[in-house]
Amino acid sequence: MSEELKNVTENVMNQIHQGKIKMKPKIYFIIGSILTFLGTASAFIVSMFLVGLIRFSLRPRLGPGAQYKLEQMLANFPWWIIIFTLVSLTIGIWLIRKYDFSYKTKPWIVVLAFILVIVIAGWTVDMVGLNDTLLRRGPMKEMMNGYFKTNNPLQQLPINNN
Amino acid sequence: MPDTKELSDKEIIEKIRNSDQELYAVIIDRYQKKLIRYAYNLTKDNDKAADIVQESFIKAYINLNSFNIEKNFSSWIYRIVHNQAINITKKYQKETPLLENWDFKSEDDIEGDFGEKEIKENVEGCLKEISLLYSEPLSLYYIDEKSYEEISDILRIPMGTVATRINRAKKLMKKICQKN
Repeated sequence: MSEELKNVTENVMNQIHQGKIKMKPKIYFIIGSILTFLGTASAFIVSMFLVGLIRFSLRPRLGPGAQYKLEQMLANFPWWIIIFTLVSLTIGIWLIRKYDFSYKTKPWIVVLAFILVIVIAGWTVDMVGLNDTLLRRGPMKEMMNGYFKTNNPLQQLPINNN
Repeated sequence: MPDTKELSDKEIIEKIRNSDQELYAVIIDRYQKKLIRYAYNLTKDNDKAADIVQESFIKAYINLNSFNIEKNFSSWIYRIVHNQAINITKKYQKETPLLENWDFKSEDDIEGDFGEKEIKENVEGCLKEISLLYSEPLSLYYIDEKSYEEISDILRIPMGTVATRINRAKKLMKKICQKN
C-alpha cells in the first residue's frame, strides 16, 4: 500500500510539473454557469409563453378576434430565443457535467420542479393578464406598434364619423 | 510562512490556485490513504483503487477552479473518487444485486447486538459480502468517520436515505458476519 501511495503523489506531481495536466481557468467555469443560467432563463420564458398559448387556445369561448390575437402572439414571439435556449443549455450543461461534482439534487427532481414552476407561472401569467400588459407596455410595445400599423385589420376599415 | 501541516484545506487550495502548485502534493498526501481505502471498498482491488485515486486527483487538479472554497473539500474529492470508482466498476464488474427488499425483523436490537466498536472491527471483513448500495455508506460512516451530512453530499442522497442504508447495512452485517 505504501508504494501505491508514493506512486500516486509522484505520478500526479510529475504530470503537473511536465505540464501534462493544467488547471482549467476560472472563465471556463464562469462561461458554463452563465450559459446554463441564460439557457434556463430563456427556456423558462419560452415555456411560459407556450403554456399561455395552450391555455389561450383551450378557452371554451375565445370570443371575437381570437384568431387574430393568436396569430399576433405567434408572429411577434422572438423565435430565436428557442435556438438560443437549446444552444446555451446544451453547451452549459456539457461544460457543467464535465466539472461539477458537488450538487446532490437528483436531475429528475430538478426537471420536475422546473416543469412545475413553468406550468404554474404560465398559468398565473395568463390568469392575471400579464402577457397582455407586457405587449402593451413592456419591451414588446414598439414591436407591437409596428405590427398594428401594418397588420391590424381594424385600421383598414373605413371610419364612419357620423 | 506557516508549516503546511497547520494549513487548512481551504488555505492550501487558495495557494494552489494562486500558482503554488507544489502544495497539491500536501493535499494528495493528506487524503490519498483514506481515498485508496475508500476506493478499495468500492472495487475490492488494490491496483484499481490506486488508479482510481490517481485519476481522481488529476481530475480534481484540472477542475480545482470550479471547487467552491466555502464548501468541504473532503466531500468534493470523495465525490470524485465515488464517480470514478462507479465508472470503473461498471466497466469491469457485473452489477451487484441491490438488496432493497430484504426483509428484517424490526424488533432486532441491532445497536445492542452490534456496538459501534464491534462494528468498526468487523466492517472491513464483512463489507465484501454486502452490496455496494449498503457497504458504501457504512464504510464512509464507520471507517472514514464521515457525518451523515457529508455522506449525503458524497453520495447525493438525502440524509434520511443515508440513515436507512446504514441501518440496513448493519442488519446485513449482523446476518452475514454471524453466519461467517
